[in-house]
Amino acid sequence: MSPLHFSFYSAFTFSSLGLAFHRTHLISALLCLESMMLSMFIPLSIWPVENQTPSFALVPILMLAFSTCEAGTGLAMLVASARTHGSDHLHNLNLLQC
Amino acid sequence: MTYFVIFLGICFMLGVLAVASNPSPYYGVVGLVVASVMGCGWLVSLGVSFVSLALFLVYLGGMLVVFVYSVSLAADPYPEAWGDWRVVGYGLGFVLVVWMGVVLGGLVDFWKVGVVTVDGGGVSFARLDFSGVAVFYSCGVGLFLVAGWGLLLALFVVLELVRGLSRGAIRAV
Repeated sequence: MSPLHFSFYSAFTFSSLGLAFHRTHLISALLCLESMMLSMFIPLSIWPVENQTPSFALVPILMLAFSTCEAGTGLAMLVASARTHGSDHLHNLNLLQC
Repeated sequence: MTYFVIFLGICFMLGVLAVASNPSPYYGVVGLVVASVMGCGWLVSLGVSFVSLALFLVYLGGMLVVFVYSVSLAADPYPEAWGDWRVVGYGLGFVLVVWMGVVLGGLVDFWKVGVVTVDGGGVSFARLDFSGVAVFYSCGVGLFLVAGWGLLLALFVVLELVRGLSRGAIRAV
């Protein structure tokens, strides 16, 4: 595996591990989602250069548009959680407990 | 030049590790900014400057600005940065997991470098990334309309999620 391919492969793995082993804040989990999106944007942009196919250069722009929607929705849920519980701590989201 | 681009790749990985080790959100945003700057520099070194600029404008200038002022909702009285043993422990644990994956997966042939740049097929009248994104407006106009509709829908979704006092989507009472 070339070192640059290893770089974005391990960046994606780090972000998904950071999302899985989140600690206190909801916004840290949202930041890990954003870094997953970033670490997917870079290889999607490199792919048309490596294969010299210009038409694939559309895909990272489209991914950026949809991930903006996802980031906005995540931040809206953060604001709603801060309004309800006073903070965005994840141990407050416990509707299932008696 | 090769070593400079490999350095950019390593700094990209370290920036993402800085976000993934879950420090206090003030410091996580710094890691994300560093990672996106390194990623944009890497894309520029390959010659695709258009998608690099699109990343800068939309990601850093749009999404991260909104994240930075939303971090003010997540205030910590004692913010934990990378000097705290908990954050460093998470970072080292993630590095260990990826290292084990590399060793056990047999990905040890590490030093194959050399990647084609955007002028690999010769210089043309319109650059590779410019002509690729221009497809968005000609053959891919259906996708363009779907993406615009999705963005407009996201605005209304956000409006409904943060609506007023007693009719919001997330309420404990």
